[in-house]
Amino acid sequence: MVAIVLPQQDGKMADKHIPIIMEEVTDPEELAKARAQRQRFDRNSAWLQAHATEVYARYRGKCVVIAGEELFAADTPEEAWALATAAHPEDDGSFIRYIPREKMARIYANQRRVVAV
Amino acid sequence: MQINGEWLLFDDGMLRPVIRGEILASNGAWQPAEFLVDTGADRTVFSAPTLLKLGLQPSMPQVRLGGLGGLANSVVVATQVRLTRETASAVVFRGLFAAVTAVEALDVSVLGRDITGLFAVIVDQSGNVVCLLGQRHRYLIAQT
Repeated sequence: MVAIVLPQQDGKMADKHIPIIMEEVTDPEELAKARAQRQRFDRNSAWLQAHATEVYARYRGKCVVIAGEELFAADTPEEAWALATAAHPEDDGSFIRYIPREKMARIYANQRRVVAV
Repeated sequence: MQINGEWLLFDDGMLRPVIRGEILASNGAWQPAEFLVDTGADRTVFSAPTLLKLGLQPSMPQVRLGGLGGLANSVVVATQVRLTRETASAVVFRGLFAAVTAVEALDVSVLGRDITGLFAVIVDQSGNVVCLLGQRHRYLIAQT
């Protein structure tokens, strides 16, 4: 790997100068694994996009895992992951999405640390 | 370096810029995750359902993240985020990352400026482009 040390921005982490380290993966075996996993991930993501309208309308307030180009929905992430893993234990390209209960305009920005407990 | 994403359809019918990546879990496996490219977010934040799958122990005491919706409880975890380059090779970002702990707090993980700030970021919906550009890659603004 080729490592480049870069300072993190903002917040307490930056105050402490804890860097983010960016590394290029150069190991051929690791890259081959990563590419194969990415292909499975891409297929699952494409499946969700192809079924997005139906999935979003039907599973509001649920966690959905896409694995093996199938959907597994549950009230909690634990349940959704368990269902997906039981059906497709080999699929390392699975991912999870929470479907918000309501449609609304969203502003994700300005995530900043304000209080330490 | 060029890292490509795409505009994906969300539950409210809106297209949003997303880059797919993987996060290193406690068991050494890489967990796929979709990252919303949020140019206004100070930090990369993992969603709670993704955090659950990672099985990572918090590296710092619980913290809270502020947004328009108020404060959200979160933890900080030490891990790596892996993104895929245009060459199909990969780059990893190792450091401390935040993760919300309430499922409803984030529907998708967010790629914030702790990572995107290292690149030029293009989120061009009309041109159907989402990408991070760095190192020897540059963009050109042209008038036609």
